[in-house]
Amino acid sequence: MADLTLPTTLATPDWLADLPDAGSLPEVLEQALNSPAHRERWKYTKPGPFVAATQHPMIDPDIGGESQNGVALNQSIDAPLAGFDLDQAPEAIARLCYADHVMTLDVSASTDEPIVINHAGNTRPMLIRVAAGVSLTLLESADASDDAQQSIWIDLAPNARVEHSRNALNDAPSHWQYLNVHLQAGAHYQLNNHVAGCGSRRQDIHIIMDGQGAEATLVSAGKVDGKMALDQQVTLEHRQPRGQSKQTIHNIVANGGKCTFNGRIHIHEGAAGTDAQLSNKNLGMGEHATINTKPELEIYTDDVSCSHGATVGTISQDALFYLTSRGIDRTAAEALLSQGFLRQCIDGPLADQALTALVGRAREES
Amino acid sequence: MSLLNVSDLHASVVTDDGPQPILKGLTLEVKPGEVHAIMGPNGSGKSTLANVLSGRPGYIVDSGTATLNGQGLLELEPFERAQLGLFLAFQYPVEIPGVSNMEFLKASIDSLARARGEEQPNTATFMKQVRELAGSLDLDPAFLKRGVNEGFSGGEKKRNEIMQLLLLQPKLALLDETDSGLDIDALKVVAEGVNRYRSAENGVVLITHYQRLLDYIVPDFVHVLSNGKIIESGDKSLALELEAKGYAWLT
Ligand SMILES: Nc1ncnc2c1ncn2[C@@H]1O[C@H](COP(=O)(O)OP(=O)(O)OP(=O)(O)O)[C@@H](O)[C@H]1O
Ligand SMILES: [Mg+2]
Repeated sequence: MADLTLPTTLATPDWLADLPDAGSLPEVLEQALNSPAHRERWKYTKPGPFVAATQHPMIDPDIGGESQNGVALNQSIDAPLAGFDLDQAPEAIARLCYADHVMTLDVSASTDEPIVINHAGNTRPMLIRVAAGVSLTLLESADASDDAQQSIWIDLAPNARVEHSRNALNDAPSHWQYLNVHLQAGAHYQLNNHVAGCGSRRQDIHIIMDGQGAEATLVSAGKVDGKMALDQQVTLEHRQPRGQSKQTIHNIVANGGKCTFNGRIHIHEGAAGTDAQLSNKNLGMGEHATINTKPELEIYTDDVSCSHGATVGTISQDALFYLTSRGIDRTAAEALLSQGFLRQCIDGPLADQALTALVGRAREES
Repeated sequence: MSLLNVSDLHASVVTDDGPQPILKGLTLEVKPGEVHAIMGPNGSGKSTLANVLSGRPGYIVDSGTATLNGQGLLELEPFERAQLGLFLAFQYPVEIPGVSNMEFLKASIDSLARARGEEQPNTATFMKQVRELAGSLDLDPAFLKRGVNEGFSGGEKKRNEIMQLLLLQPKLALLDETDSGLDIDALKVVAEGVNRYRSAENGVVLITHYQRLLDYIVPDFVHVLSNGKIIESGDKSLALELEAKGYAWLT
């Protein structure tokens, strides 16, 4: 399985070397990479190449809007972030070790303009800390055309708000994005994620509701056409009471594409009054689409409201008949229906670009 | 010459237990300018007739013919039937989230225009026309931005069907229980819409359970469909008689 040969000297800041409870970092990573949980997360995508690529040379992401008042960009970390999780994401931690420096963005005042992040290649890890009560719009896109990885940690202090839009529409042989979001009390996080398949695309999203009354919304539209692949692994943890999370993920898999969605909701003991919803819908079109979707629920508290649904289907015959009965030919009707299916999950400031790439037409004015 | 000509039509619905014969020798002729009402007990085959004529999947035509303006319908794809001028107002209109009403209507009108070799309407003019039509049917034009029938009430869905009828101007309209689920005011609005559509050139087949609708849309003929066949035909007075006596005396 995953052979990760860690270098003998890690460019690791002291605080990271101190993270593991026991043993040296390389040992702990090694263990995490070989754990059954890790194997489960990498069941449908071969981890070897992704893990090996964690030591590839990295470039800085292009960052815009960083010179606004209240925004500070640094290249070091002074303390571990609450979201760092060796067991859940040893590869992401490995990237932190291999990076010669990281990008740390501290946002201490609400900004007028969004912070814009573009990944033109294999980019260095980013840590984004949003101070209490601060609102931030984050626009992220990837246009790497070679193998690339990203790893981003976002920490939202109490009552912070982040609206995060992310487009991963680039064509690359392989692309891996790791995203970890940690929410403190009353914080709000929204992710609008738009994604196309590529040679092998992997998105790991780990959202941790770690304060009372935090709210997270994840809306994602994906299209995997032809010999492309997409593997999305989402873990949403409710650690504190009265959190609300809502996830809506629509993926179209067409003509031999391969798509995996694994949505895990973990409601910890004591997280009473949690409301967690997840809906994953997959639409298969054409021949030989492969779709794996697995809902996973772990609930250790009574008094929660939780719904978790996954469907795999084809175009509705009733809807198709309705459109064709109005004179629209079959091919055009199918196109309208598949576009409609995705459009339900395309929203936010990066929607237009996503519509053009995934739906093939811009938003209708009406 | 007749507009719609259905002759000795036998058709089955496909079920898990194999095909079930529903239409058992149905004959109906509609001439331009005529309105025919079809009444009949639940399960007698009224929706089946509308579905078979418009080409809904899940039905098998066993024998018989159906033509619109002399052109055979039964071999055609649903969109080709629509392009010939057939229109079905659905008993249960489908909700299609993500496809806006406006976009759907534009796709429809463009397809029909292309098929007729006509020019596609200019988008701005078209949108204005649609908004006016919506208004005339007491439909909030804001609905046009929403998904097709998405979150519409039962009555709003039926009014949306009539809006499409008025927009697309088919040659023959099959209205399947467009009156059910409507309150009195909405019933008048819908009936007024159908009357606006009526002309000397086109025809209407009106499937209904209620005599009440026929006070507003006065039919030229009333037929009783029972067990897959038309067993009685008459004028509007037949509907009144049915209202008073039910169907039992006929069967
Ligand atoms: N998909 C189907 N599977 C099984 N049976 C069906 C199906 N569609 C229709 N039928 C049967 O065919 C018969 C005729 O149905 P149809 O919907 O045409 O009746 P209807 O006259 O429109 O009734 P209503 O007045 O209730 O609308 C009924 O017995 C119905 O159960
Ligand atoms: Mg019916």
